[in-house]
Amino acid sequence: MIRLAIAVDKKGLSVKRIKEWDQQFINDEGTTKMKKNFIILLLVGIIFLLSGCSSNETLTIISGSENETLEPILKDFERETGIHVEMQYKGSVDMMMEMQTDAINQYDAVWPANSLWISIGDTSHKIEHASSIMTSPIVFGVRKSLAEALNLVDKDVSIHDLLELIEGDKLRFMMTSATQSNSGACAYIGFLNALLGNPDTISLKDLENEQLKRDVTSLLSGINRSSGSSGWLKQLFLEGDYDAMVNYEALVIEANQELVNSGKEPLYAIYPYDGLAVADSPLGYVNNGDADKEEAFLELQAYLLSDKVQAEILALGRRTGFGGTVSEADERVFNPEWGIDANKTISGIRMPDAEVISQALLMYQTEFKKPSLTVYCLDYSGSMQGEGETSLKEAMRLILDQETASQYLLQSTPKDMTIVVPFNQENIDVWVVEGNNSSEMNELIGKIDHLDPGGGTDIYTAAMYAIDFIQSLDYEAYIPAVVLMTDGKSNDGRSFRDFEAYYEEKAMDVPVFSILFGKASEDQLKEIEQLTRSRIFDGKDDLISAFKKARGYN
Amino acid sequence: MKSKIIGAAIFLIIVVMAVVMFGSGNRKETITIKGYIGGEKTGFFDDEAVQEILLKRYGIIVDYTKAGSVEMVRYNDYGDNDFLFPSSQMALEIFKREQGELMLKSEQVFNSPIVIYSWGEVAEALEAEGYITKENGTYFITDFERLIQDIENEKSWSDIGMNLYGKINIICTDPNKSNSGNMYLGLLSNMLNNVAVTEDADVDEIGPRAKSIIERLGYMDYSSGNLFASYIEKGMGNGPLVVGYENQLVEFALENPDIWDKVRDRVAILYPEPTIWSEHTVIALSDNGRLLIEALQDEELQKLAWENHGFRIGLVTTERDSEIIQTVGIPENIDQVMPLPTADVMETLMKIIAQ
Repeated sequence: MIRLAIAVDKKGLSVKRIKEWDQQFINDEGTTKMKKNFIILLLVGIIFLLSGCSSNETLTIISGSENETLEPILKDFERETGIHVEMQYKGSVDMMMEMQTDAINQYDAVWPANSLWISIGDTSHKIEHASSIMTSPIVFGVRKSLAEALNLVDKDVSIHDLLELIEGDKLRFMMTSATQSNSGACAYIGFLNALLGNPDTISLKDLENEQLKRDVTSLLSGINRSSGSSGWLKQLFLEGDYDAMVNYEALVIEANQELVNSGKEPLYAIYPYDGLAVADSPLGYVNNGDADKEEAFLELQAYLLSDKVQAEILALGRRTGFGGTVSEADERVFNPEWGIDANKTISGIRMPDAEVISQALLMYQTEFKKPSLTVYCLDYSGSMQGEGETSLKEAMRLILDQETASQYLLQSTPKDMTIVVPFNQENIDVWVVEGNNSSEMNELIGKIDHLDPGGGTDIYTAAMYAIDFIQSLDYEAYIPAVVLMTDGKSNDGRSFRDFEAYYEEKAMDVPVFSILFGKASEDQLKEIEQLTRSRIFDGKDDLISAFKKARGYN
Repeated sequence: MKSKIIGAAIFLIIVVMAVVMFGSGNRKETITIKGYIGGEKTGFFDDEAVQEILLKRYGIIVDYTKAGSVEMVRYNDYGDNDFLFPSSQMALEIFKREQGELMLKSEQVFNSPIVIYSWGEVAEALEAEGYITKENGTYFITDFERLIQDIENEKSWSDIGMNLYGKINIICTDPNKSNSGNMYLGLLSNMLNNVAVTEDADVDEIGPRAKSIIERLGYMDYSSGNLFASYIEKGMGNGPLVVGYENQLVEFALENPDIWDKVRDRVAILYPEPTIWSEHTVIALSDNGRLLIEALQDEELQKLAWENHGFRIGLVTTERDSEIIQTVGIPENIDQVMPLPTADVMETLMKIIAQ
């Protein structure tokens, strides 16, 4: 009977009624003990099934990676309610693009960094109950000694001041991709605004300004590494040796906690007075007409907004409450030594009209960002035969066929370089296309299609060749990347040790991404991922994000 | 033994069936009514007390989708929706003219004046400059015309001693999508027209001036609910002056008494003189929509609309009147009101803004 009592909580009235019926039955009938037990057992079984409907509810949330820090809180929620929360991470601008299509229906909730992206993306009004969970302003985090040397500490700094330092090559920084993530997009719009001399708002006509185009291009060339979402950018920052990043105040706090713990110098947070924006992290429900999910969603939202959990979130360096400022914040978290000021009013630019935002993002991708220099190493070994080969060839068609690629904003620009290196136990050939000429691209597709797999696998020799090739070009002018498209079973020729030694000797900071095909094995690729600070993608599920990543959209 | 098992199984099935029937059999058939509502009314429909009365007395469950008032009356296809619930007579006029044949009935059920949300510090600065005056604890924008003139002349926040970036402006929702922005456009035009209702003959002069003020705002949200949320969450730097309905802050204060205690002195509601009434109107597209109109006139629902959500409701007065007025700090009566330009003039103004 204890189980029944538990079930009553979960399922409400109907189960309670079963309990009443059950007792009535036992009293009235006075049947044998065995039959009684049997029926109770069956009832318990049914109740398990019934209550299972709600307590086993899963909420799949597409969220900015800056919310990864909140996972322990979501685990507590799961323990308390039985509702399972599955987080999938993506940049807010990517999420906005998904909201414009049916792709959003695969999730139960969205949790971007800024409500702006729901407003723009949710044209069919599928997102409901959106409510801000916390806020955090976007800041420039600069290595403290550098910030002091550049005279950025304890004074009002404008975006324009920072631009001068960047243009004078005194400051290099990391930011997320403007076309994928909120912090990158807001920073980029902030830069455009400052470069245009701070108009009230940016117009379509402003974007055609030739001087602006030159200025932005040169500015963006000062970005040394970037990523598709803000949480990942923080990770990347900690793994490397960089000077500055554009990120949320909360993530600068997180980064600083880790830096200080490992005895390194913290970042100093700069709040430019004419720019950037405040993230308000709205959690919204995707209405797919499932009442149970909706109830579970509202339970989660209420939990996150409860006083107890809001205090936990505040302790994680997010501003909570109301009005965007926190008075009397814990100075161990919101540390004034790091330039952090939770009581600071964040006054920023107005975001331009939705049409201007879209156009600005398109131009970022096609005109302003550094061109990409991508070497695709394609695995033509025997183990790729069948499904692996087919999906690999399809994937290459997607990225090379300019019409298909443009559907995903993945088309090449006239300055891009595309290199394809087919390999098995040795490198089979090398094919190069400069720019985005369609017939050359189609010719390349033809070559890829005609080659058949066979032989052993040596991914390391191929990857080393790709690095060599990149080095032979003026690679600083590009966003360089190697993409290994393979099933990951290297069994011939060189070893990871050889590759590691070679990579470290070159010290070029070129990521070597892997996209997995066929019956793939990740083990060997994980070593490469760690060494080159890259990522492994699945050739079926993450193809688009893999290509975006490799092409430096992030 | 086998027959006992079968017997038990049959019994179980009966039990389950009985439970299912018992569980749903004691009330009349419920109807789910679908429709579009302005974002400022989600709080009302999400209120459990409201849901209970709708269900128990009228057998109604409302399944709403949030949409801008001006946007929702211009959809091409309403599918199986039963009603629209925009926030103004203006939206009703557009609907009547463009798709009037779809309307079975309409009824104005709630009212709320257009106000400007602000912050204590901003209000003090505006008061010092003589734009606004405090009377009995309420701020009135007594020199609204001059405030609008100074906005038009691109006065900066720093000119009035505020440490805020940029020029003074009043942030509103997209006048072509959402009602509060739309009504503000009307009010703004009237102010630019020397505090006289803008008429056909004035549009050529007033329209472009209003546009130049509004286009400086850049991105505008489609929903008054969203704009209010971002005002309250992102704070003064993001929204020093924001157009909304009076009921939005009243609702916030009533729903969050603890927070309200702490922030009362930080936020400020400014009442433009004159202001404009927003008249929240249900448009029935089906018989079920008519049923909703009937239900929303329920005296107790009207009372909840005022006591929990701050919509002014006309005749019904409640014991809690003075408590609400004092807690939130709103005036008892709104005296200085002016009409919107006619629907035709508004449409012309909207077209100019959209160009």
